Amino acid sequence: MKEYLIPKEGFRVLFFIGKGGVGKTTSSAAVSAALSKRGYKTLIVSIDPAHNLGDVFEVKLNDKPKQIAESLYAMELDMEKLIKTYLKHLEENLKHMYRYLTVINLEKYFEVLSFSPGIEEYATLEAIREILQKGDEWDVIIFDTPPTGLTLRVMALPHIALIWVNKLIEVRRKILDKRRTIENIQGERKFMVDGEEYELPSREREDPVMKELLAYKEEIEFVRDIITNRDRTSVVAVMNAEMLPLYETERAHESLKKFKIPFNLVVVNKIIEFEEEVSKIKVRMDTQKKVLGEIHKKFRDVDIVKVPMFEEEPRGLKWLERIGGLIIGD
Amino acid sequence: MFENLKAFFRGFFSSFKARSTEYLEFEERELENVFALILMGSFVGIPSPPTTLVMRIMPHMVREIYVMQRRAGEMDDIFGELAGMFEIT
Repeated sequence: MKEYLIPKEGFRVLFFIGKGGVGKTTSSAAVSAALSKRGYKTLIVSIDPAHNLGDVFEVKLNDKPKQIAESLYAMELDMEKLIKTYLKHLEENLKHMYRYLTVINLEKYFEVLSFSPGIEEYATLEAIREILQKGDEWDVIIFDTPPTGLTLRVMALPHIALIWVNKLIEVRRKILDKRRTIENIQGERKFMVDGEEYELPSREREDPVMKELLAYKEEIEFVRDIITNRDRTSVVAVMNAEMLPLYETERAHESLKKFKIPFNLVVVNKIIEFEEEVSKIKVRMDTQKKVLGEIHKKFRDVDIVKVPMFEEEPRGLKWLERIGGLIIGD
Repeated sequence: MFENLKAFFRGFFSSFKARSTEYLEFEERELENVFALILMGSFVGIPSPPTTLVMRIMPHMVREIYVMQRRAGEMDDIFGELAGMFEIT
């Protein structure tokens, strides 16, 4: 069995990435079925807004883990609901400040925020974080992700967010430094807005802004530390033996390297095999052969597994366990 | 008589203290303004920090937003303020 698919240090996190329609959901479901069969308590989570994990298992799933087999649980994240509850929570937090925030008309801002660029990535990251925080309940957590573009963005987020938060902490420190110096000369300071008096915090442990910044930093570092740890996370790319998925997988490989996220396995899915030559799809078969050769050349440091195209659509546990066994390699 | 003298000195020193921190307070206000501007960059078309972070910090930003709002109002008088501070007439 491939050791980067099973838990080593705490729980193991697997991300299945790839172009749309190459069989990410089926492959990830297959691996989850095979791993759970071998006794690992496995949770598979679909973070793709266009879910079809439930269709593969032939059960209805929701945003709570549902038991499918003895140690196999599955869930589908409801992005829309996630964004809505997330915004609702923030809105309530903001309500008592409304009077002073008239300058930006926040109510309108909230109405459109759920469509604002980037919000989905952040909500996805937040969801991944929440699942990882409760990760000890499982041996293996498998993420079935949306098509490559969005996933790479989500995986790059911890890195980017940390740059931002560090910069903001730096500015905030300067502000607090200044405030402290002034306070030393003038004594405790207050400030008035519309007849209401506010205290001006000057120490890091008193300043709510600084507290939020540090808490956020800690949360993001937690996610980053897990997804960049070779002993805890593996990325599996799923592709077909065609040129476009090959290019996309190569690009994904490059950017994951940049963010130091371990990339271990390429699953080449839906390989068509005929014993005799079929003239009608000869061109296709030639491309397939060429792409397979390229894959071996381009991903030298990565494992490669080939999964043939089956006569019928692989759905249901039996099928999944069979394919999963093929991928994890017994 | 003694009370009057005490009040006089208190006034004298507090004005002295206020003047001594004038530059620092100006710098502090500028930093607060910049901090709020960075967080709300998307309103003026500059890249914005992670939305989650911005939304989490917002409820605690009364002072900074107030400073930013005032700064926006007195935009054309920023040189006036600087000139006043350096006693340029």
